[in-house]
Amino acid sequence: MANAKSTNALSIEGINKVFGRPGKPTVEALRNIDLTIKEGEFVSIVGASGSGKSTLLRIIDGLLPATSGVVKVSGAPVTKPGSDRAMVFQQDALLPWKSVRDNVAYGLVIGGTPKRDAHATAMRFIEMAGLKGFEHHYPHQLSGGMRQRVNVARALAVNPRILLLDEPFAALDAQTREIMQSELLNIWQKSKTTVLLITHQIDEAVYLSDRVVVFSARPGQVREEIPIPLPRPRDLEVKRHEAFGALVDKIWHLIEHEVRSAVADNRA
Amino acid sequence: MRSFMDFIEGPTRTASLARFMLCAICVLGLWQVLATYVVTNRLLLVPPMDVARALRTEGVSGALWTNALATVSAVAAAFPIAVVLGVGIGLALASSRFLALTVGPMLTALNSVPVVALAPLFIAWLGLGFASKFVIVTIFSIFPILVTTEVGLKATDKILVEASRSFNASRWQIFTTVTLPFALPFVISGIRVAWARALVAIIVAEFFGSFAGFGFAILAAGQSFDTATLLAYVIVLGVLGLVGSIFFEWLERRLAPWRHE
Repeated sequence: MANAKSTNALSIEGINKVFGRPGKPTVEALRNIDLTIKEGEFVSIVGASGSGKSTLLRIIDGLLPATSGVVKVSGAPVTKPGSDRAMVFQQDALLPWKSVRDNVAYGLVIGGTPKRDAHATAMRFIEMAGLKGFEHHYPHQLSGGMRQRVNVARALAVNPRILLLDEPFAALDAQTREIMQSELLNIWQKSKTTVLLITHQIDEAVYLSDRVVVFSARPGQVREEIPIPLPRPRDLEVKRHEAFGALVDKIWHLIEHEVRSAVADNRA
Repeated sequence: MRSFMDFIEGPTRTASLARFMLCAICVLGLWQVLATYVVTNRLLLVPPMDVARALRTEGVSGALWTNALATVSAVAAAFPIAVVLGVGIGLALASSRFLALTVGPMLTALNSVPVVALAPLFIAWLGLGFASKFVIVTIFSIFPILVTTEVGLKATDKILVEASRSFNASRWQIFTTVTLPFALPFVISGIRVAWARALVAIIVAEFFGSFAGFGFAILAAGQSFDTATLLAYVIVLGVLGLVGSIFFEWLERRLAPWRHE
């Protein structure tokens, strides 16, 4: 038991989320989510849009309360955001008036780290993210891919136990996305952080993860967990493997029906 | 010709100065032609050189400085107060739903009343001179600041606030590191608009009753049909407005470079 406790970085127990305001019909976003993630594991959640993936991530980060159920980080229940978790958002969430260095140092400074130490740490992560020489640039002077690297560096700088990624590369073009995926793998291998990634890109999930969790839509439920036994370290070559294609196909078949009905919903 | 156009449309400081000079020369030329050949009645229009001469006369006699002191001291005292009050009220409206719902509509109503029309009333209450000018300028220039402050604070990107919360920032930290810096350029542009309104307010206040000031001098010149002196003071006012506008625009660019690229 003590052993299980030390190896589960994150455990999600019976999470339900119902959105509702008085006088309006309620929306059930998540139903009975149970999920555990081991220390150092890279797990992705895929599902059709509207399956509550982002909602779950916000609950884990402590930005949103669950209707029922509990999220535990290293055994301790989550009630609010904390430095044991850090989030990278899909949209650009950098402060436009702060330089790259000050943006990366932001979480540390908010947490009370003295400015000079925060800047020193920030420089380490800027280098790790391949942005050395850009520390005094401002976000509007960087490309979309570079900005998202700053976002990742800012999240990692607070030394979180768990890195939460909410479709971090969705806004990037296809080529940049591929590069960013392999760079994320590099960074993850160096930092040994536990990662939970939300994505709608199945190949991205398979390429990066140890395990892919497939969500069903409305309300979001865990439909299946699929281990990804591809060898590590992986490079982009792995995407041409037969096994890779088979895994992508398998996951696609699991969610195809829901993606189609979500598309139909959007058209209606 | 081609290279001249490239230069004049260029982003350099010399180019922007050249643009301004070119404009000024055109306006002065047009004015000179108009005053020489079209409007020859000197009560209606005087050529630019006459205006310059009148300005010199006012300067030499000391009247220009007396009037400048009266006007500038009233604006210099009232404008910072308007900024502080405007930002303060805007802050209160943005942070309290109750205030926004109760005081907000009342302020909107007050804003649509031309406050300068109340100038005679303020003069009746506070007498001729500094106090009435001070109040009129403050009330008239406060609104744009108040409105832009509230709008700026409310316009803050939700995602930036969420990112800040994600680092467990306190409400105060979110305010100082996200909401306030985001609102700042809005506030500055409100101040820029308010500056122009402050100059309108001071002139109106001085029209209605004062012993000195640019408005007083303009009114006096008008009543004695001294068009040259009247225009001289208008030009001084124009320069004052322009300098303020350029300064606040510069400040806005400095504080929010990301909004201009």
